[in-house]
Amino acid sequence: MSRRDIAFIISTLIAAAALAVVPTITTKESVINLLVLVYIYVMMASSWNIIGGIAGQVNLGHAAFFGLGSLVSRILWTKGWPLSISLILGALVPVAFALLIGAPSFKLRGVYFAIGTLAMAQILFITTRNLFPMISSLPTEALSTYSLAPRYYMALGMTLLTVLVVFWLSRSRWGLGMVAVREETSAAESLGVSALQHKLLALCLSALFAGLAGGVFAYYSAGYYLFFPFFPTWTFDAVMATYIGGTGTVIGPIIGAVFYVLVKEILALRFVELHPFIFGTLFILVVLFLPGGMIQIWSRLRRLLVRKSTLAPSAAKEEQVPETNMVHDRPAVE
Amino acid sequence: MLNVENINVGYKDLQVLWGVSFQVNQGELVALIGPNGAGKTTTLKAIMGLRRPWSGAIYFEGCNLCKAPAHKMAELGIAMVPEGGRVFTGLTVLENLELGAFPPHARKHMAQTLEEMYQLFPRLAERKFQRAGTLSGGERQMLAIARALMSRPKLLMLDEPSFGLAPLLVDRIFAKIQEINQAGMTILLVEQNVRAALELAHRSYVIQNGRIVGTGTSEELLSFEFVRSAYLG
Repeated sequence: MSRRDIAFIISTLIAAAALAVVPTITTKESVINLLVLVYIYVMMASSWNIIGGIAGQVNLGHAAFFGLGSLVSRILWTKGWPLSISLILGALVPVAFALLIGAPSFKLRGVYFAIGTLAMAQILFITTRNLFPMISSLPTEALSTYSLAPRYYMALGMTLLTVLVVFWLSRSRWGLGMVAVREETSAAESLGVSALQHKLLALCLSALFAGLAGGVFAYYSAGYYLFFPFFPTWTFDAVMATYIGGTGTVIGPIIGAVFYVLVKEILALRFVELHPFIFGTLFILVVLFLPGGMIQIWSRLRRLLVRKSTLAPSAAKEEQVPETNMVHDRPAVE
Repeated sequence: MLNVENINVGYKDLQVLWGVSFQVNQGELVALIGPNGAGKTTTLKAIMGLRRPWSGAIYFEGCNLCKAPAHKMAELGIAMVPEGGRVFTGLTVLENLELGAFPPHARKHMAQTLEEMYQLFPRLAERKFQRAGTLSGGERQMLAIARALMSRPKLLMLDEPSFGLAPLLVDRIFAKIQEINQAGMTILLVEQNVRAALELAHRSYVIQNGRIVGTGTSEELLSFEFVRSAYLG
C-alpha cells in the first residue's frame, strides 16, 4: 500500500469520525436530514461509478437497483423482519437482478447498452407503480418512536463501507482489469482479462451498494410511494454527480455528490422553477471544460505548481512527477 | 507448437481466409508476410479467439483453440502484440505491465518478469510512472511487446510491429524481437515490411488474397519472382 493510499484511508476515517459527532453538536433536524441525503447520494454516485466510471459501461438503469433495494427492505422490515436481514436481502435482490440482466445487456455496446438499461429500469418503474400505487408509511407505534439518530448513523456507516469497498476495488487486480476493459476491450481480452466477467462483477457490486442505499432510504423515510425510488431521476442524479466530481476515480463521486446535493438544495430554495435549468447548464459546462470533473481542478493546479517550481533547474524533471494511481484524474476518453 | 489447419474465416458473408494452413515450431521465428488486406490480421485474430473460424482447426500444443474464449489464450501461453501496440494510454507504464501479468501463472512471477522487462527495455524503467499516452510511438511499441511478455508466454505473436515507425526505430524494434527469439521465445511475426521480416525470420509464409501462396526460408522466397517483384521492387 502506498503512502497516498494510507493517507486516503486515514483521512476518510477521520472525516467519518468527525461526521459521527454532528448529531451530538446540533439538534437541528434540517442539518441531519440534509446530511442523510448527502450520504445516500454519495452511495448512489460511488456505486454507479463502479460500472459507469471504472468499468466504463454507461448504465442508465441504476434506479432499478436503488428501487429494488428499498422495496425489498421496506416491505420485509414493515412486515416485522429484523432490520439487518431486511437490509441484506434488500442489497442481494438487486445483485440477483443485475446477474439476470447483465449477460443479455452486455451484448449491447455503448449507446445501445445505455438505452437498453434505461428501458429495463423504466419497465420496472412502471410495473412497481402499477403493483404498489399506495404510500408506504410506518405504523403509528413506529412513528411515535421515530428517531433520526440511528438512521443518521446507519447512513453514515453504509456510506463509509461503500467508499472503502470502491477504494479497495480501485486498487485491486479486478479493478485494474475493469479499467483495461474500459480502455481497450480487445487488448484486455488478449491479455487474459475476461470482459464479460469484469463487467458482470462491476454491475453486481454497483447493484449491491445501490440496493444498500435503497435500504437506507427505506429505513430513513417515514412515508413515501413505494415506486418513488424507481424514478429515473435517481439514475440521472447519480450519473451527474459522478461526472461533475470525476468519473472513474474514488474521490470524484464523493465530491460530486456533496456538491450536487448542496447546490441543488440551495438552488431549489432560491430559484424554485429555474433550478433544473441552472443545473443542466452547470453540468454541460463541467463536461465541456472539466471533462475529468471537479477533481481535475486539483490536478491542474498541482501540475501548474510543479511546473513553476522546476522551471529554473531542469524542465525534464516535470515529466518525472508520478501521476496518480490507476484510477485517474482524467476521464476514460483521452 | 502451433498448427493452423485449413481454416476458413470471414466477417458476415465476406470470406477473408480460404483454407489457410501453416505451422510454427518451438523456438522458431516465423513470419507471415503479405500486402495490405491479405488476411494477416484476421489470421492472428482467429488464433486469438477474437474471430471464430467457419471451419478448420487451430491447435496449440495439441489443444484445439477454436473452443477456447479469447481471454483464455493468455493462460494457455499465447500473447499478442496488436497492431499499433494498443497500450492503455490512460494507465501508467507500470500498470500496463501489471495488466500483462494478469493470468495467475504470470502473476506469481510478476516482480521477476518486471525486472527482466526493465533490463530488456531500460526506457520503460525510466518512464514507469508516466502515462502510456505520453510515450512516443517507438516507446509504445516497446511497452506493448513488454506487456505481452509479462504473461510469460510460450508463443509471442506480433501484428505489424513496424507500423507507423520511422525506419531507424523499425531496426531497433526488430533487433529486440531477434534478441527475444534468441533467448528462446517462439515468435510469429506478421509484417508488411517484407524486407525487414525476411531478414529476421527462419521461415516465412506468403499470404495473398486470403490464401497461403508460398512458403520457405528467406533465401528460397527471394527466388520466388512474385516476392521480389511485389515487395522488393
